[in-house]
Amino acid sequence: MEYAEGDQERRPWLGQYGDHIEEMLDAPSYDSLPAAVVDAANEYADQTAFTTVMPNGMYGSLTYAEVDEMSDSFAYYLREVLGLDAGDPVALQMPNCLSYPVAMIGILKAGCVVVNTNPLYTTEEMEHQFNDSGAKAVVIVDLFADKLEEILDETPIEHVVMVQVPEFFPPIVKQITYGVMKYWNRAIPSHGLDVTRLPDALKRGREKRSGADAARFWSDLSHDDLAMLQYTGGTTGVAKGAMLSHGNLLWNLAQIRAMTASHLTKGEEVVLTALPLYHIFACVVNFLTMYLVGARNILVPSPRPIQRVQRAMENYDITWLTGVNTLYNALLNEEWFVAFPPEHIKAAAGGGAAMHHAVVDAWEEMVGAPLTEGYGLTEASPAVCFQPLHGERTRNTIGIPVPMTDIKLVDDDGERVEEGERGELCVRGPQVMQGYLNRPEETAKTIVDGWLHTGDVAVMDEQGTFKIVDRKKDMILVSGFNVYPNEIEDVLSRHDKVHEAAVIGAPSEKSGEEVQAYIVKREESLTKQEVEEHCREHLTGYKRPKKIVFREDLPKTPIGKILRRELRQEVLGE
Amino acid sequence: MLTELETTLLGVMMIIIMLGMGSSLTFKDFAIALRKPQAILVGMLCQYGLMPLTAFLLATSLGLPGPYVIGLVLMGCMPGGTTSNIFVYFSKGRLSLSILMTVCSTLMAIVMVPVTMSLYGRGVEGEWQVPPDQIITLLGVLLVPTLIGMVLRRKNANVGAVMELMGGVLGVFVIIFLIGSWVPRNWGLLMETGFPVYFASIGLGLIGFTLGYFLARNLRLSTIRARTISMETGIQNGPLAILIVAMVFTGEQQQLVLLIPILYSLFIVITSTMVMFWYRRITTREQIARDNAKIGSVREK
Repeated sequence: MEYAEGDQERRPWLGQYGDHIEEMLDAPSYDSLPAAVVDAANEYADQTAFTTVMPNGMYGSLTYAEVDEMSDSFAYYLREVLGLDAGDPVALQMPNCLSYPVAMIGILKAGCVVVNTNPLYTTEEMEHQFNDSGAKAVVIVDLFADKLEEILDETPIEHVVMVQVPEFFPPIVKQITYGVMKYWNRAIPSHGLDVTRLPDALKRGREKRSGADAARFWSDLSHDDLAMLQYTGGTTGVAKGAMLSHGNLLWNLAQIRAMTASHLTKGEEVVLTALPLYHIFACVVNFLTMYLVGARNILVPSPRPIQRVQRAMENYDITWLTGVNTLYNALLNEEWFVAFPPEHIKAAAGGGAAMHHAVVDAWEEMVGAPLTEGYGLTEASPAVCFQPLHGERTRNTIGIPVPMTDIKLVDDDGERVEEGERGELCVRGPQVMQGYLNRPEETAKTIVDGWLHTGDVAVMDEQGTFKIVDRKKDMILVSGFNVYPNEIEDVLSRHDKVHEAAVIGAPSEKSGEEVQAYIVKREESLTKQEVEEHCREHLTGYKRPKKIVFREDLPKTPIGKILRRELRQEVLGE
Repeated sequence: MLTELETTLLGVMMIIIMLGMGSSLTFKDFAIALRKPQAILVGMLCQYGLMPLTAFLLATSLGLPGPYVIGLVLMGCMPGGTTSNIFVYFSKGRLSLSILMTVCSTLMAIVMVPVTMSLYGRGVEGEWQVPPDQIITLLGVLLVPTLIGMVLRRKNANVGAVMELMGGVLGVFVIIFLIGSWVPRNWGLLMETGFPVYFASIGLGLIGFTLGYFLARNLRLSTIRARTISMETGIQNGPLAILIVAMVFTGEQQQLVLLIPILYSLFIVITSTMVMFWYRRITTREQIARDNAKIGSVREK
């Protein structure tokens, strides 16, 4: 299982590392995430760590020193006031705001386990996740207190800490922002829960610790200890908790650093975080990676509609950002963005779903900096592949594996496929999770002999660059031919009048399955005939959509990934 | 007439209102808006074309005496009020368009108010004329806080956003302040004032709402934009007109000219509130209809 140097035969991508990417990384020198973040906080103490920006430009900030002090106090609150033990799961359920890093680092410093929870979950999903993880406490935003109240008695949660979106903003600004949310937007429900507000929790923790730091809770942690439970797998029905250890995350941070080193300057980056931190991608790439290099993180609580990001982009000299295809596409269609594209961007990273190369081209032309695609999944903490930032990048690929990571493509029997053939992508590396919490069978099915089976179908070229063809289960079988929805969607979105498109397979008497395209127009004038013509030009017969439907929008995940499964349910009533 | 304290207070509040208005926009917003200027042009057409003409025609057809004509025409020539932004926000209209129209018409006021005033006020006896240079000076002075507001916004978004809110709220507050201090003192005058003056004061706003909407619709703007332009057109900067009158006229003269701007300011709060609720209902209904249409398109076959 150990990664051994070399083996060019099976790792042709090593040739692309060149002088910019190290092949062999030393094991992370820190024993745990708290050890790493405390070091960063000492080094960048007076620099701004986080700034939350509201759609009207109002903002609040915390320095590294403040985050460090507050998270120490929160760790004391969890351990000494609430009496939690090391390893106890604590759920975190909020949009991007200043409370997020304070609470998350606090939970880790307490030696507890972070249960990252999507605030948009239904009560049913919340109940499942809290029970499945065994969460003892929850730190939740007041916007969803009513949902929590409904199910709290059905869960093991004993303590509720509540935060506001404008928490830690300057006083008047906080009151105005809160007042607008509560009285104008009526977004904050009333509830009968017994809660402790985060500032009060910090106060009580501060009293307990009387000047000491929280090191005594975390100094015994090691790479094998659990750090996070990140839920995933909504696609296969019930959500499972991926167990990510301190070692998994520290390794992945080192791997991401190695891939981006050429474009990261310590203490000088300003990163825009519009993707939600409760998702593994932004949590690891935006928050943890950037925190350790002393970056300033600009947090946007809710980037939809995309206009809400405008002030954040205007008021700060953003150097890095991450997004998904839909986010970049949306930005490129905003007048304010096109009129004044950001000037300081060094690089942007895209992931979550395939980037369409029309979007990448337009972005790079407008911004003048690379938009690099990556590939990852919750079960791999998450980064697996990135396009190298230096040199040539091959469009429409996920790039090459991050250091110390092996990839093989296998057929249905688990055998390696021939070079250039399609196969399921399997990953082996120090970032691969410990397994799914309390689900040994699912774990055994997913991790076989140390290889994580991703369910994604990919191909590799001679240089070792990978390309995702599709999800194994999204493949459409038309009269015995494999059709990959991504390919069709990419063709469709290249049409000027198409904003975005989703392709699914539907049962057909003639061909077993047929291709159906659901399209959001960019220009009203688009007709089905135009789409058909476009497809005839670019696609062979069996790949062409048999049914074309125009829609106002497409179902998406919170980070903007198009949900084909939901679409299929919606239109086919499955 | 206004006491010296009232005039001074009004002036100070006006400066804060202008600061707030400046804070609501960035220089970039401007540059972006100028790339597609149709909506602004429509707005300006309403603000400096329709409204002064409406005021003039109302005054003529009602046969109002000189001081009232000047008061009404002045009211018609005013730029958009900052309170319109709050009403547009509550009516679920296009806030960005409203802010932009308010700022544009205010910046253009320094040219357009003297021009429209001299056009429509020509027939009035000399003693009631408002000297253009005084208007220009006053508007010029008020541009300074507007620009300071824009710079503030740029320097610190928190200060800018707080100023913006204060400016909007103060606009309403000035009117409440006037009701509280001016109305009781002039109760007798209000009782004696005839129907035509009331009709003109209330009608100016209502006609503005109506014309603004239909003009925008005729120029093929969406209904939501049309409703925004409608509110923006109907709601004029009342406090500014009152301030101009207070600076230019004194004594008995001031009392007469002041009447219509004050009445307009009082009633526009009431009519705007009603229109706001109405527009809000329409917008909500449109949103629901759109959502339903989406569901329908999904379910088809």
